Amino acid sequence: MSASRDTTRSPLEPSATSRRIAAFLIILYASIAFIPMVLIVSTAFKSVTDAISYPPKIISEPSLEGFVNLFTQRTRQSAEYLETLPPPETWYEEIVRKRQMVIAGPSRFIQRFVNSIIIGFGATFFSVFFGTIAAYAFSRFRIPLKDDLLFFVLSTRMFPPIAAAVPIFLMYRKLGLSDSHLGMIMLYTVVNLSLSVWLLKGFIDEIPREYEDAAMVDGYSRMSAFFKIILPQAATGIAATAIFCLIFAWNEYAFAILLTFREAQTLPPFIPTIIGEGGLDWPAISAATMIFLLPVVVFTIILRKHLLRGITFGAVKR
Amino acid sequence: MLKTINNKLINMSDRTMAWLFTLPTIILLLFINIYPLIWTVYLSFTNYKANRRGVEIAWVGLKWYEKILTNEDVWLNLQATAHFLFWTIFFQALLGLTLALLLDKKFKGHEILTTIVVLPMMLSPAVVGVFWKYIYQPQAGLFNHIVNAIYNFGEFTMIGDVSLAPWSIIIVDTWMWTPFVMLMCLAGLRSIPDYLYEAAEIDRASKWQQFLHITLPSVLPFLMLAVLLRGIENFKMFDLVNELTGGGPGSITELASIHLKRAAFEKWRTGYSSAFAVILFVTVLGAGNIYVKLLNKLKEK
Repeated sequence: MSASRDTTRSPLEPSATSRRIAAFLIILYASIAFIPMVLIVSTAFKSVTDAISYPPKIISEPSLEGFVNLFTQRTRQSAEYLETLPPPETWYEEIVRKRQMVIAGPSRFIQRFVNSIIIGFGATFFSVFFGTIAAYAFSRFRIPLKDDLLFFVLSTRMFPPIAAAVPIFLMYRKLGLSDSHLGMIMLYTVVNLSLSVWLLKGFIDEIPREYEDAAMVDGYSRMSAFFKIILPQAATGIAATAIFCLIFAWNEYAFAILLTFREAQTLPPFIPTIIGEGGLDWPAISAATMIFLLPVVVFTIILRKHLLRGITFGAVKR
Repeated sequence: MLKTINNKLINMSDRTMAWLFTLPTIILLLFINIYPLIWTVYLSFTNYKANRRGVEIAWVGLKWYEKILTNEDVWLNLQATAHFLFWTIFFQALLGLTLALLLDKKFKGHEILTTIVVLPMMLSPAVVGVFWKYIYQPQAGLFNHIVNAIYNFGEFTMIGDVSLAPWSIIIVDTWMWTPFVMLMCLAGLRSIPDYLYEAAEIDRASKWQQFLHITLPSVLPFLMLAVLLRGIENFKMFDLVNELTGGGPGSITELASIHLKRAAFEKWRTGYSSAFAVILFVTVLGAGNIYVKLLNKLKEK
């Protein structure tokens, strides 16, 4: 029975053995590539001592020290002083107290996190908004020098961000936009615009013109056809584009480290500066990294069908 | 009054609408992209220093360009960039294509595995860079232990060692971006129509011949596009390397962008760094154009 099944198998289908070998090799690669991810999560739940122990501890007693360190600022105190204090009231005070320290106040992590959210969502909104209308115009209207304009939109991505940062730094200093949320939102909006226009143009190109034409025969103006026909049809594409823009703004580092210092600093330049006693505080950095990466991981899973399209600026559609 | 404005908005001509819809994008790009570009070109001919305000800007002509092109350190930086570019693209193309061919076997669970494999490329390169610094730590880090478990090299430090540091950034970049090349190749593989293989089967072509004459030529344009996009990205590589090695030890991993940042924001040599930026931009644009022409010729075949 099994032999006959084997002969009726289409020659295009890979054989069971080759499938098994392929699956084995992919699983091997995936597990090696996944080690850093596991390490981020496991280090986040280690104590500072366990994280820098030699040889490295794979399994250690779970600890929330990293998270406590991430959210607080602490000062070291003498044993005599600590004895005069009342016993710790909360679990996090207890963790800190065990290491001969007291909590001095909240850390800047939350403020930086809020900055990341404000700048990320703000820039995403504007780049998708301007991108959608521009993409519609590029898709449907005759625009003089259209191809040149589209290439121009794309070529802005080839300029190294560090190079662009110098004149933007000078310009922002003059306009008083240095280290401001507005300045960063504007900057990320523009950087994302090329992606958003190109991606959305691809999505809108796929909507048949007949839809609008039919609506306009029925008495719709083009504007209302755009709002009532095109926008709902392009909703999935707009959502995918928005997530791509958000991930970019969320992850962006080069502009952020050069143009923001305090007020508008986002997480990517902040996370590498989390230090504890005697160097980088790895559990706290891992905890921050975990919190920081979680939204991106969720978005990647949502986006998996559009990933390629987003990363190639719509050059590859699938 | 409001109603007439509303009516005008709804019933505007196609021409007006085309302008209204593209204008914000064009203005924003002019303001934050073109203006800085022109400004950079201008600054590259001056002795301006961004940390010295109020000093009169003097024209210095081609001084910076001359200085850069005859400076041996700059050539070392470009060599480091070329080394990084070559090996990352080599490994990513090789691994990416292999993984794509394997995933195309469509075994059970290949979709979930694809998502898992793809994850690293969506992460923030800077944050990834910091974390790999931990992984590379000679004592507490896992990397040395895993490597030594496979073959005992004894003690070594990936980031601190002059001969190993360039490879440390290549490994991380390959880890991050192989999935991208893989996805591109997968898209190429999925675009091959079944009848090509069916016809080959009827002609009794061997599997190897099928691979050579059907699979490879169909994937190649996708692979080459992936290489182009990775090439552009890695030529301007900054965030990952800046956090992982910071250009060190010494200036062994000081890629072009890192050199640019040191010149512009640490030494405040604005004129010099602007000239260097212009040179880099022209190089990317030129190399990219030549490559695209080659790609198109290949496609015509």
